Amino acid sequence: MLAIEIEARGAVTLVEITGSLDGLTAGDLLERCTAELARGRASLVAGFGGVEYTSSAGLRVLLAVMKDARAREGDLRLAAVRPEVMRVLDLAGFSGILKIYDDAEAAIASFGA
Amino acid sequence: MTTPRGKVALVIGSGGVKCAAAIGLQYALARAGIGLDMVVGCSGGALYAAIAALGFTPEEVHEKTLQLWTREVTSTRRRGARWQLLFPRLFGFSAEWGFRDDRLILERLRAAFGDRTFSDARIPLYLTATDFATGEQVVLSSGPLVPAMRASLAIPFIFAPYRVDDRLLVDGFLSDPLPVNVAIREGANIIVAMGFESPYQRAIRTPARFAFQVSSIMTNNLLKSRFAFHNAVHHAEVILVVPEFAKRVGVFDTWQIPYVIEVGERAAEPHAAYIRRLLDAGGTG
Repeated sequence: MLAIEIEARGAVTLVEITGSLDGLTAGDLLERCTAELARGRASLVAGFGGVEYTSSAGLRVLLAVMKDARAREGDLRLAAVRPEVMRVLDLAGFSGILKIYDDAEAAIASFGA
Repeated sequence: MTTPRGKVALVIGSGGVKCAAAIGLQYALARAGIGLDMVVGCSGGALYAAIAALGFTPEEVHEKTLQLWTREVTSTRRRGARWQLLFPRLFGFSAEWGFRDDRLILERLRAAFGDRTFSDARIPLYLTATDFATGEQVVLSSGPLVPAMRASLAIPFIFAPYRVDDRLLVDGFLSDPLPVNVAIREGANIIVAMGFESPYQRAIRTPARFAFQVSSIMTNNLLKSRFAFHNAVHHAEVILVVPEFAKRVGVFDTWQIPYVIEVGERAAEPHAAYIRRLLDAGGTG
């Protein structure tokens, strides 16, 4: 129930996610992002425009990827988060620790800023 | 980590009449064939947690809420409360202080729940309150239901803290407005958490509104920090359900209960489908 598309945008990797990020699907995202990080691509943008929901399992994967990316002097940044998902991120404290942008272009550009 | 079997908990946070949305949530879960293994409730959520655990019918739920929770429960001033506030030494202020008389709410709780105890619940039931002396969360899970609910509903300044087993207890929201930790501790690995943020005041022109605003700010920040911690550090799957109310629902708007239940049901439907898949997959994924 989760589709992940990965696209290289210069030094930044855009990870477009569609579906529900939950206990049944979060492992796929972790695997794909970890593979990118292992290739030395530590500047990640997660496109959240297609994410309908995230449970605690999804949030823990975001946290793990963010920590790994930052340890490699990169970052995980979010883009185009839907209001209903934003409420979960707010309540779970994630909007206070992750950088979140209105759209993927702004998130990608932020790495050059 | 995959567990052999999903153990499902429903946690209902504080939120006054909005907590009735948990009834709609249960309809959605029941339609998906999802049973509950335990229920946890806090403050207004304690009422609906008890109702869910006792297995009342939807008609009974509606009827009991209409009987229990009306503006009258907080409309009678407690004799001497104001004088105790103004001249505490002269009139003997104590920790068991509140502005409002609690006899009516106790009477209504007794009418609704009678002498039922926690052991009458069909599934394990946990209600939370806060120790007024230490600030610690207190989990009530045995003995008569009415004192436990009264303690969980001891809204500061409105109702006096309430003594249960030699401990003076105040509203559960003061220690955690959404006590997910109780479900984790009791072994749940799929936790459906229905939480509500305290509303902010539209205009602040009285000291009471000012106090409500301060309380909402503190409560909402406590809700977020506690939920963030439980969400991040435990391996239980926590599914947060936050109903969106297009209409304003006041603390005593019991006439809006059918609407509140409907919103809860709608908010829960997509989650119910996911929980079903999760259970079919054998646990927490």
